[in-house]
Formats: sequence, structure tokens, C-alpha cells
Amino acid sequence: MTVVAAMASVKFETRAADCNRRARRARAFVLQLLIVVFPLFVVLFPIFVLAQANPAGFDDLVLRATAAREQNDVQQAIELYGQAVQLKPDWPDGWWFLGSLQYASDSYAAARDALSHFIELTPEGGPAFALRGLCEFETGEYTQSLKDIERGLSLGAANQPRNEKILRYHEALLLTRSGNFEAALQKYALFGGEKVPNPELLVGIGLAGLRTPLLPKELRADQQDLYSAAGNAAFQFISGNQKAAQEAFQDLFQRFPTTANAHYLYGYLLFPTDPDQAISEFRRELEVSPSNAAAQLMVAWDSLMRNNYSEALAYSKKALAEDPSLAVGQLVLGRAMVETGNVKDGVELLEKELQVDPNNLETHLALAKAYSKLGRKEDARHERLRCLEIEKSENAPNARP
Amino acid sequence: MRALNALSGVFVLAVCVSAAAQARASNPASSCGQCHAAQAKSQPLTPMARAIEFVDANPTLKTNPKMTFRREPYSYTVETVGSKSTYSVTDGTNTISLPILWSFGAGGQTWILQLNGQLYESLVSYYPNLSGLDITIGDERITPHNLEEAMGRKLGQGEVKACFGCHATHAVSDRKLTLDTLEPGVTCEHCHLGSSVHMTDAIQGDLDTTPPKLGKLSTEDLSSFCGQCHRTWEGVVRGHFHGEINVRFQPYRLANSRCFDGTDPRISCLACHDPHQDLVRQDSSYDSKCLACHAAPSTATHAASANIPAGAKTCPVANADCVSCHMPKINLPGGHAKFTDHEIRIVRPGDPYPN
Repeated sequence: MTVVAAMASVKFETRAADCNRRARRARAFVLQLLIVVFPLFVVLFPIFVLAQANPAGFDDLVLRATAAREQNDVQQAIELYGQAVQLKPDWPDGWWFLGSLQYASDSYAAARDALSHFIELTPEGGPAFALRGLCEFETGEYTQSLKDIERGLSLGAANQPRNEKILRYHEALLLTRSGNFEAALQKYALFGGEKVPNPELLVGIGLAGLRTPLLPKELRADQQDLYSAAGNAAFQFISGNQKAAQEAFQDLFQRFPTTANAHYLYGYLLFPTDPDQAISEFRRELEVSPSNAAAQLMVAWDSLMRNNYSEALAYSKKALAEDPSLAVGQLVLGRAMVETGNVKDGVELLEKELQVDPNNLETHLALAKAYSKLGRKEDARHERLRCLEIEKSENAPNARP
Repeated sequence: MRALNALSGVFVLAVCVSAAAQARASNPASSCGQCHAAQAKSQPLTPMARAIEFVDANPTLKTNPKMTFRREPYSYTVETVGSKSTYSVTDGTNTISLPILWSFGAGGQTWILQLNGQLYESLVSYYPNLSGLDITIGDERITPHNLEEAMGRKLGQGEVKACFGCHATHAVSDRKLTLDTLEPGVTCEHCHLGSSVHMTDAIQGDLDTTPPKLGKLSTEDLSSFCGQCHRTWEGVVRGHFHGEINVRFQPYRLANSRCFDGTDPRISCLACHDPHQDLVRQDSSYDSKCLACHAAPSTATHAASANIPAGAKTCPVANADCVSCHMPKINLPGGHAKFTDHEIRIVRPGDPYPN
């Protein structure tokens, strides 16, 4: 089973028996990996627990539950761990095993609750957050799922390459669904180079690329082809297959000439390495969909990078008029205002943007320049130092808003 | 005011019309020089004006007609015969031999080559301090896997435009590389965009198209302007240039100085450098620039004293050759040259390079 197949199958689609089999194997694999994170718990905690004054019958339950788990008797193990944590609710291991076994048997709501108990007792347990996030993904609690997966990742849940792919894939799906398409595409970069991309991975990438805030399972059957084609073109690009990507995008443009965001997607991917070609694609996008705020914003950003500030100002204003909530729109407009002489108002916008995203390198760069232009020497210096901190910590990628 | 403008227009018209027959001479500086004689005379001698050279006008290649270099298992030869220079690399069995098309750099030189329609940066360059060849700066980490890679580094479209965009004039137009219109080096039009139109219009007495006066830019904006080629502060941050390698990016280093103030002309690029003149290398010649802010009250003029910024300290060690201590010369890794560090600071022995 390929890594991507494992990852995709964890989504627990039930379209075919084959998918189910793969999903179960993948889940078992996830569990095994996550359990590896807790060797101390696994090895030492039972000894420690047994050494304590436990409620009557508890020790026996633990031994029987462990045996059932080791024999892959999942239902029996769930039953016994459930009884054990009723007797001793402050036993974190019991909640962990209960939650992970429930997850493996598709009891996502129950698993989520058990893992919540574990997290109360062990607040820094990254894998538990991650697994709870995967449960919430299945129960349709998407906002909380994204929060938990991100928290899990920040606490080191991506401790194995396969784990990382499973979590990043779900994170990307959720970012797409929440409208954070650029961030989703960045997560999908992890999958570049997969030899046999999973069809659902391609659809997922296509959704992010075409800026459609849906999950693959929410698409109509007649939409699959479009998103798969877009995803494949982007996948070829992020895999470094420039020629194949170019051909795939041309094919996409021919087959779906009026589809919004297709040219935007190609431009977005090209921007770091070939901004000239990228800007052509953004302008083609505006021919297809003149009100495309994201394309307008990228044209504005490109104009800023080329010191064409008046064009940057015009396009960023248009973009924000189309979509006032556009991510980093305030940054581009604020920077354009600073560069065209309206420094004071520009600074105001940039400072607001900083409240939304305090670690955005581009906002700090823009503020450093703005403060410097205003003669606010110490503020400018402070911002520059902050930029250097961010750049060193993130090793931030090529400039884009 | 209109009368004054008209008069000045007549004056310019008189000067320019007399020069009209010579206008559009081969050297753009000479055309602009009909009115801006001093700049037109000195600027072509600057390193910026010689940032790129055609082979037949390349003194380095002429005075070094045969240069060789070996980096196992490859041997390099740069040979000049008459007005043609050839760059060759061999592994002992096969050889690639290409004409040098352009030379980048007025002192050290890197060559641009063409193979199968692609432009390459030569993997070896000429370094004056070595009086010979070594690996091109930045390419030290390249381990060639074949003769083509040993010959040079293939340049992407974006990189080609960036290189020619800074080292030449009219090499990039409408986002496209336009080598057919290339003028070698940084000429008037490179910085003073629209100066050709201005010249044509001025001949007709129309001064409305005079390019903006760059000297009037704020210090911050001037840093950004010069930084288009010398790298802006943010360009260096985005490019992740860490360590001594960034010493050659002067606008970045200068903005890191405690005394940098984006609104104070005393710390601008133009406060110390006249881009129309060759670089002044005598340390003492910059003293007055430093003392414009750091003069002791007893030695400063009354006017200067009144303008000394709050917190500007006077040096307890010396009041001459300031830059020799406060702007140390740093070895550029792989560059076989020292660059003046524009991060103005108190340098203490043993301090690491501030980055």
C-alpha cells in the first residue's frame, strides 16, 4: 500500500469494500505509530499504576484489556478499557487506549470523547490532539478538527513520515474547506513526487487550487473530472515535472476554458520561479473572470514587487472592493498606500493586518519601510529585527502576500 | 514662473539645438552630456558603467590573453585572440569550447556563454586579487556531474533578466529579455528612466518630461532605488542571505546601522557616493560625512551643532578615518575581495559579524 493510499484511506470513505479494507489497515497503522509516541506510558505506566492503591478489580481489568488489545480483540478491549476508566477516571493510558481503539472501530464520537479525557489529563499530548482532530473530521466538526490537528502537529504528532502525510492531508482538506486555499496548497507540497498519486489527493489539490471551499466527498459526481484535472496539473507542478505540468494545464484550459481560478492556480504556482509567466496567467484569469479578487491581488502584489506602485494601488483597491475579507488584502493595499505617499493611512492598514496575522513577514517588512519613511527610526528598527527573527525561524519561502 | 520656464526652455533649446547633429551619438552619455557635461564625462569611467562589457572592449581579457585553471577532473582555459575570447573546459577526453559573449563585472569578471540556445554563467571567473581564475562566487558548492555542468551554470529566464537588468541598459523591456537593444553597463537611462524622451523633448523646448530628480528621494526611498541592483533590505531578508556574503548588499547593511534614519539625508547613499564619479577609496574623504552627525560640539559649526541628532555620540578614539574602524573591510567568502561593511557600528575585537 502506498503512503498516499494509506493517507487517503484514513478518510474512511465507504465507497467500496476495497477502500474499507485499506482504510482499516491504514487506521491500524496510524494507531501503531501513534502508540510508539508513548513508550513510557506503554511500558512504565501500567507498572506505576499497578503499584498504586487501585480500586478493587482495576488491576485485573487492565491486564485483561491489555491482553485483548494485544490479541486484536478490539471490541473486548474497548469494553474492558471502558470499565477500567469508569473505576479510575484519572488513568490517562486507559483513555488513550479506549479512544484509539474506538477510532479504529469507526466510533468517532466516542473516540473523540475518550481522547478529550486523555487531553484533560495530559494537555501536551500531540498525538492525542491529532487523533481527536481526525475523529472530529469524521463527525463533521471541521473547525474544531482543524484546530486539533494543527495543535497536534505543533506538539510533534507528525513524528513519522506517514503520520505527517495523513495529518497534513487532512489539514489541507480542512484549510481548503475554511477558504484558506494558499495555505492548503502549501501543505499539499509535501506530496510532490508521489509516484502514483491517489485520485482523492488530486481532487483535494484541485479543490484548493480552484479555490472551492468543499471536501472531495461534497462534490457532485459530474464535478470530479474538473477538480481531478486541476489537481493533476498542480500535482505535476509541485512534483517538479514542469513540462508535464505545462501540458496538463494547457489541457485543463482547453477542456474547461471558462472555469474560474484555473489560470490563477497556474500563476500562483509559477510565481516564485517565473513571476513574468505567472503575471501573464493572472491577467488571463482576469479575462476569464474579471472580478477574481485573488487574481487582482496577485497582480497588485506583482506590481508592488516591480515598483509599479500606482498599478498596485489600483488593483489592490479593486480586489478589496470585490472581497473585503480577502486574506492579506489589507497588507497589499497598505503597502501600496505607503509607496504612493499615503504613508499614514497605509500604516494604519498594516497595523490592523498585523493584529490578524502577527507573524507575517511581509507585513513586518512593509511596516519597517513605512516607519522608516515616517522617520520613526526606532519603530523601523524594531520591525526590522522582528523580520530577521521571523525569517530565521521560518526560513520563509519566496515573497508573496 | 511661466516666463522663467519659457526662458529656461529657450536656454536649453539653444544648447540642445547646437548639439542636435551630434545627438543620438553611440555613447548615450555623450548625448546627455550636451547638457550634463560633468556627469557624462565621469560616469562612463565608473565601475557601474562598466558592469558589463563586450569582449572586444574588455581590457581584462586583452591583458590576460591566456588564463588557465584546474579543478579536478576539469581544466579550464580562457584565451583571447584579437577581438575574440574563447572559454574552454575539458575533462581530458572531451572539450566544450565556446565564445565569450559578455563579461560581467568591471574588476572581477564572470562570463556569459551560450550552449544550445541556453545562457550559462561560467563556472570559473577572473579575480583581480588572484590575477587569475577561480570558481565563480556562489558556485563553490556545485559539483559538476558532466562536462556541461563543469562549463557553467544554466541560467533560468528570471535570473537572466535580473542579471542583464542590472548590468546593462535596455536589456529588459516589457518583462522580456531584449539583448538586441542592450547597451553595456549602467548608462543614463538605466537610472534616469525617460531621459531619452527628455532629451528629445528638451531639444524642442519641452521640459515637462524631465525625469524625476533622484537626489530628492528620501533616504529610505533612495536605499530602495539603489537596492534594485545593490539589493534592498527586504530583498536580502527574502533571499535568506546570511553571513558575510551579505556584506556586498550595501543598502541592507546600511539599514541595519543604529544611525540609519529613513528621513535623514546625511545617511543616504548619495550622502557619501556620487554615482557619476568613480568610487572614492580614501577613508579620510568620508570623515566629513560621519562628522555631520558625530562631531563634538566644540568642533562643530553652530549650524551643524544644532542639527546633531539626539543620541549621536562622538568618538573617544579619533575624529579622522572614521570608516577604517566603524565600517571595517570584510572578506567576501569566495569573492577574493574585501568589501566595506556598510553596517556602521562600534567594532569590538572578537565580535562576530553582525547579521
